[in-house]
Amino acid sequence: MSLLDAFGDGFARRALLEAVMVGGLCGAVGVHVLLRRLPFFTMALGHATFPGVVLAALAGISLFAGAAAFGAVVVAVVALLGARERVDDTSAVGVTLSGAFALGVLLLSAQAGFSRDLTAYLVGSIVTVQPGDLATTAVVGAAVLAVLAALHKELVLGAFDRDGLAALGYPVLALDVALLLVIEAAVVSSIPAVGTILAVALIVAPAATARLWTERLRATMALAAALGATSGVVGLAISLQWRVAAGATIALVAAALFAVSLVVAPRHGLLARTTSEAPAPTPAG
Amino acid sequence: MTADPSKAPDPAPPVLVLSRATVAYEREPVVEGVDGEVAAGQSVALIGPNGAGKSTLIRAVLGLVPLTSGTIQVLGRAPQAARRQVAYVPQADTLDAEFPVSALQVVLMGRYPRVGWVRRPGAADRQAANRALAEVGLAERASARFGTLSGGQRQRVLLARAIAQEPRLLLLDEPFNGVDALSQDLLLAALGRLRATGAAAVMATHDLGLAHLACDEVCLLNRHQIGFGPIGTTLTPELLRATYGGQALQLRGDGVIVARP
Amino acid sequence: MNLFEPFAIPYMQRALVEVLVLGALAGAVGVLVVLRRLAFVGDALTHTVFPGVVIAHLLGRSLLAGALAFGVLTAVLLTTLGSHRRVGNDAALAILLTSFFSLGVVLISRTRSFTADLTVFLFGRVLAVDRTDLYQTLAVAAVAALTLAVLHKELVLRAFDPEAAAAMGYRTGVLDLVLNLLIALVVVAAVEAVGTVLVIALIVVPAAAARLLTERVAAMTALACLLGAAGGWLGLATSYEVSVDHDLRLAAGATIVVVLVGLFLLAAAAAPLRRRLGRGLVAVGGRAR
Repeated sequence: MSLLDAFGDGFARRALLEAVMVGGLCGAVGVHVLLRRLPFFTMALGHATFPGVVLAALAGISLFAGAAAFGAVVVAVVALLGARERVDDTSAVGVTLSGAFALGVLLLSAQAGFSRDLTAYLVGSIVTVQPGDLATTAVVGAAVLAVLAALHKELVLGAFDRDGLAALGYPVLALDVALLLVIEAAVVSSIPAVGTILAVALIVAPAATARLWTERLRATMALAAALGATSGVVGLAISLQWRVAAGATIALVAAALFAVSLVVAPRHGLLARTTSEAPAPTPAG
Repeated sequence: MTADPSKAPDPAPPVLVLSRATVAYEREPVVEGVDGEVAAGQSVALIGPNGAGKSTLIRAVLGLVPLTSGTIQVLGRAPQAARRQVAYVPQADTLDAEFPVSALQVVLMGRYPRVGWVRRPGAADRQAANRALAEVGLAERASARFGTLSGGQRQRVLLARAIAQEPRLLLLDEPFNGVDALSQDLLLAALGRLRATGAAAVMATHDLGLAHLACDEVCLLNRHQIGFGPIGTTLTPELLRATYGGQALQLRGDGVIVARP
Repeated sequence: MNLFEPFAIPYMQRALVEVLVLGALAGAVGVLVVLRRLAFVGDALTHTVFPGVVIAHLLGRSLLAGALAFGVLTAVLLTTLGSHRRVGNDAALAILLTSFFSLGVVLISRTRSFTADLTVFLFGRVLAVDRTDLYQTLAVAAVAALTLAVLHKELVLRAFDPEAAAAMGYRTGVLDLVLNLLIALVVVAAVEAVGTVLVIALIVVPAAAARLLTERVAAMTALACLLGAAGGWLGLATSYEVSVDHDLRLAAGATIVVVLVGLFLLAAAAAPLRRRLGRGLVAVGGRAR
């Protein structure tokens, strides 16, 4: 496999850099998504970000700005809907997701070049990444990682014991919003690479894989970032070799790593659990 | 509640003062008319049937729900201003057993107000956390994942978290629910030591026997306050019947059984 | 805006029948999805059917058959996916559905008409529905409707009180499988019309709106069917009018979804009013959500 040759061209090298950065960023953020049980929400966020991206592209402004603004609106709508009686969280998310997505499709369908642009937003188009995009990803990635590092203990406590965080006097809502913005940033960053539909794959799969291998949180985050970057690189290489969609291949590689770990991971993998005795419960006291 | 005139006046200001505290949800009161004072070193049992408003009252003292009328003062300030000095011990089964934290890490969470934003707990914090774990008899389980501990052990870890915070006021929500006998003893002992340092405690509980062991005052609640005073004089059959309504059975003589507390 | 005129044209008539049937069926199935908070599972199924459609297309077979095969396969998979404690159901579901979806994308990306095909599969082409498609949709819908009618009370019981259902001897695993299959059938039926991505709206939105307006399951089901069908009709009429009269091409499937969400928002606004009217007549019950 002419792996190194594949990365000889300018576009391929840019794509590689993007894949590494986005993979690493999404992996780290993904751990928090798992801790707070937000995969469905993240998926909805990806779908709901779509019209924001379309609007931004049509208006000629930065995708990040458009997507972030729209994402914030979506978060607010979901929170408002979910707070009403008799609209449960999942239905609120389902309604918002569908509505926002349909809106995005409508906006795009009124334009020419409909299906090509749509595809790029939905499943990514990493090989058309420009140097400007790379710079944006780098800056956003650095900012996100800095926030996660600074707020690590507060975010973890908030995920584990929300009341406890409030009882200690922390602004729980502000911290929640900060994390949601971080997740949104990860989703938007990954759109050029894997698109809105598959962003959740790059966020959730490496983190879920990492959690199968280690109990310690900081190690989990480092491992998830590494797995995310690896998925990006390997997926990109395979897609260049076989000339198939890059974003989807990256998602498949991430899922494959998860599937393999599900089976072989020591202690939490399927093989380990069926071949070792279940530990006897410790006596009370 | 008025001060007992036979005691010398208490020099230190009360840790907790409630004055006609009322919490309502959509204009229907959940708990109302709570009046009382808790001095340093005292502990109050919150007693009442399910739905009496015990948890709501605790959340109000924590400043997590707003009062509809009346006031609550913690260390002379509004609840939100005093949070660093107030420690909350929830029921252990409300927390996710799969969460990747060790017992020590949970206890360290109690040190966060001292550590502040961005910084990580230091050596002094770790020492305090280890001491707190030793207080509840779990020093050897410091690195075990929280979820691998038994229910009683987890409850002890949560108390250790509160101890590590070095609070002036301790709020406990049903700390003895589903807890094995050994853990109960260890919890009671640790609570006693904490009170000896001058911390006050408010404990919602179903268990009248444990209330007697752990607390010197009691607040009887059934959506409104039925009594607040020393446990010997307030935990009486009549007041219990008033609190539990039809769930209290009068025994011959003076005894009362509370069915379905 | 004329709600009847567009439907004098044959292809619009077929499209109308298609969306009326789909809207009603999806609404009925959606009631169970909403009651059991299964919107995520429903969404997962829409993603996993996609590769079946792609494979059928590449092999030159009926899209419906491909969707059906994968729909059944993944309904079984999802039902048997026990919760692996360390990973959690949501994460596993998300990974599963994106894998299937990615597989479909990878396969279709080798063709020349990649982007056009992808768009059709994801968003449907309700205006291109022909007689055969319509009959196939009706057949699938009939099977689903029959199953739903026969097993309705058991499915509702399972939704409200799984322990009671098990205690009475019902195999909750089988009931779950039936519901997942029903959702899969709806997705299969909807593939040509609104595509796999938008069908989740047909399932969740009318039922969620109905939930706001009534507490009784029977009324909720009827209302969901009505809203689903109404959304289809209004959406088609709107997209036609706007495209023809105002020269703004609006994708039909997406318009239907936007109309449905609009109906939901109306229901959300009307709900408190309705409750206040009802409060004078009925004793207020518990406030639990």
